[in-house]
Amino acid sequence: MAVVEINNVFKFYHDTEVEVKAINGVTLSFEKGDFAVIVGPSGSGKTTLLNLVGGLDQPTGGEILIAGHRLSELRPSELIDFRMDHVGFVFQSYNLIPVLTASENIGFIMNLQKWPKEKRIARTDELLSSVGLSERHNSRPSQLSGGQQQRVAVARALATHPEFILADEPTANLDSKSAESLLDIMEKLNHEEGMTFIFSTHDVRVMKRAHRVITLEDGKVVSDEKKE
Amino acid sequence: MRSLIVIAAVAIGIFAGVFLMAAMNSSVVQRLDAAVNEELSHIQVNNKDFRSSADIQNIISDYPRVVAALESTPGVTKVTGRMIIRGIASTATKSSGVEITGVNVEKEKEMFTLSGKLIPGTGSYFETDTKFNTAFIGEKLAKELNIIRYIITPEAITSLREKGIPSNVVSKVETLQGQRYTSDKKFVKAYEKILAPGEIKKYGWKIKEAAWSYREGSKIILSFLDITNNQTGAAFRVSGIFRTNNDMFESLSLFVPIDELRQLTGMKEGTFHRVIARLEDNDITDDATPVIREKLADYEVLNWKEIQPDLAMIADFMGQIYAIFMIIILAALAFGIVNTMLMAVLERTRELGMLMAIGMNRRKIFMMIMLESIFLSIVGGFAGMAVSEIVIAITGKTGINLMKYSEGMEAMGYSAHLFPTIDAQFFVTTTILIVLTGIISAIYPARKALKLNPVEAIRGE
Repeated sequence: MAVVEINNVFKFYHDTEVEVKAINGVTLSFEKGDFAVIVGPSGSGKTTLLNLVGGLDQPTGGEILIAGHRLSELRPSELIDFRMDHVGFVFQSYNLIPVLTASENIGFIMNLQKWPKEKRIARTDELLSSVGLSERHNSRPSQLSGGQQQRVAVARALATHPEFILADEPTANLDSKSAESLLDIMEKLNHEEGMTFIFSTHDVRVMKRAHRVITLEDGKVVSDEKKE
Repeated sequence: MRSLIVIAAVAIGIFAGVFLMAAMNSSVVQRLDAAVNEELSHIQVNNKDFRSSADIQNIISDYPRVVAALESTPGVTKVTGRMIIRGIASTATKSSGVEITGVNVEKEKEMFTLSGKLIPGTGSYFETDTKFNTAFIGEKLAKELNIIRYIITPEAITSLREKGIPSNVVSKVETLQGQRYTSDKKFVKAYEKILAPGEIKKYGWKIKEAAWSYREGSKIILSFLDITNNQTGAAFRVSGIFRTNNDMFESLSLFVPIDELRQLTGMKEGTFHRVIARLEDNDITDDATPVIREKLADYEVLNWKEIQPDLAMIADFMGQIYAIFMIIILAALAFGIVNTMLMAVLERTRELGMLMAIGMNRRKIFMMIMLESIFLSIVGGFAGMAVSEIVIAITGKTGINLMKYSEGMEAMGYSAHLFPTIDAQFFVTTTILIVLTGIISAIYPARKALKLNPVEAIRGE
């Protein structure tokens, strides 16, 4: 069964008097274990599509199903819980909470889900180890490099065992070495744990590693290439 | 850092407001205490015509009945009678109109604190064993009658040096040694000629205090009408001089033992012009007055609020001043919190967007902002209250000296030495109001946070 199904989805914005067709009839599906990138020029609708898939935004038309659940049938409060349980987010600007340590940032979402303390600590340790930051438990974001912060963000996204991770330009703010290192970790998680990753990116390094490259132009899918 | 600044701002604001309140409150409380304990008492009973005509013949003839009526009233603690006649006090050089009050010395000592206002070194409150008539007079009257003089003696120079006044100032003052100034004005004029304005401002009142001189047992002549409306009078020795914070009271009031006055006026034993009563507390005044008034319908019964309505008005007005002050303090607090939290929401737009994206529900976002605001106001508020409590406790003991403004303040009957005080109830009310203000002022920023669109917020828009 597909983890994500996007059926003929539209998203229109009204910019003053002009109607902007950000997503214009996209149909896609992502299987468990996909390592897919959505590419395209600026304004092609990559981030909008990711926001729609993540339930952060509502489509103007069409339907999105996540693990068999229709997002349009969920009430706003249910959608929030749904996101917490099923979707992991990695943002371009890391978006860690500056006053919390690496462990606390990762544990935050588990806290929201009221995980027992021992389980939370064990999961945080496991995640920090998997992103290669076992020694940085108590470091605050300001004490970490950009690459390290993004690795913490990946660990946070993985914390509650989501169905898939949406990563919007995750390497855009990173130098080559940090970007490669981050991609190594994501690739490893994909290989070893079967975690589904859906990226939006301009970064060639990400494209090279992807198993599937979807190209968007003017809100439409113009190509969907799967690598062997 | 921002939170610390807000907490400090809240604390300073609360402290400033509460301390100012305490200082103002002390001024009123001290004035009220002085009025009741030194000048008026709580209840006065007069012959109905006495206040309008001040005729010596308008007496209370059935004193025992009046005393019995007062003593049987709940809350009345002590009762005494007074003779009150208008007259003129004069010395060889000056004279002044006065209200001569004949008092039962022992009873008055129990009922009033005026005996404790004796200026050290000026005698006693009718304790000197003398064959002469004696009078207890105010400092202001003593100055007006030239009983108090200013002389720079070698002792005054030594005392100035001991007070740490610079030697060049003392040397200038030394040039006035041996001169005798019969009035305050003349002495001030003399030292104004030799001292610089800055020196006068800084040391003037200390110099006056050191030069203050009084000859014990000074004589004054009191002239007044006797019971048959004939002019009479006698020489009185000044038994002692009192100093209060009320210039008017000091310059008009003169106390003599009632027996001496009775003898000179020919007023019968057991007759008085006024019977005064003390109550357990100022607060029961309004309850006790109508009860006494009903019992003594044939007399004029007045309480201290009716005798000095300005004082009653200020005492009542204090409640409104409290309220106005509290509104100002709390409004400033509310604006501070709203501003800070709006800034916090603006600064954390991205963070809030992320929290919403990863699954933090709106109720939790709302509560997060609310709790932060409440925390800021509670910590700042309590810090402010704690500092206020400490400073009020210290200054309540040491006092705040406003001697520079003493002339103006004492002319209005207010002390220039304030001992800040505030009710415990004020602290409790303020604390509750601070917490409520924190909660109310947090609502707007919290609602702002709720309205954030996670997609836009993540982009930092």
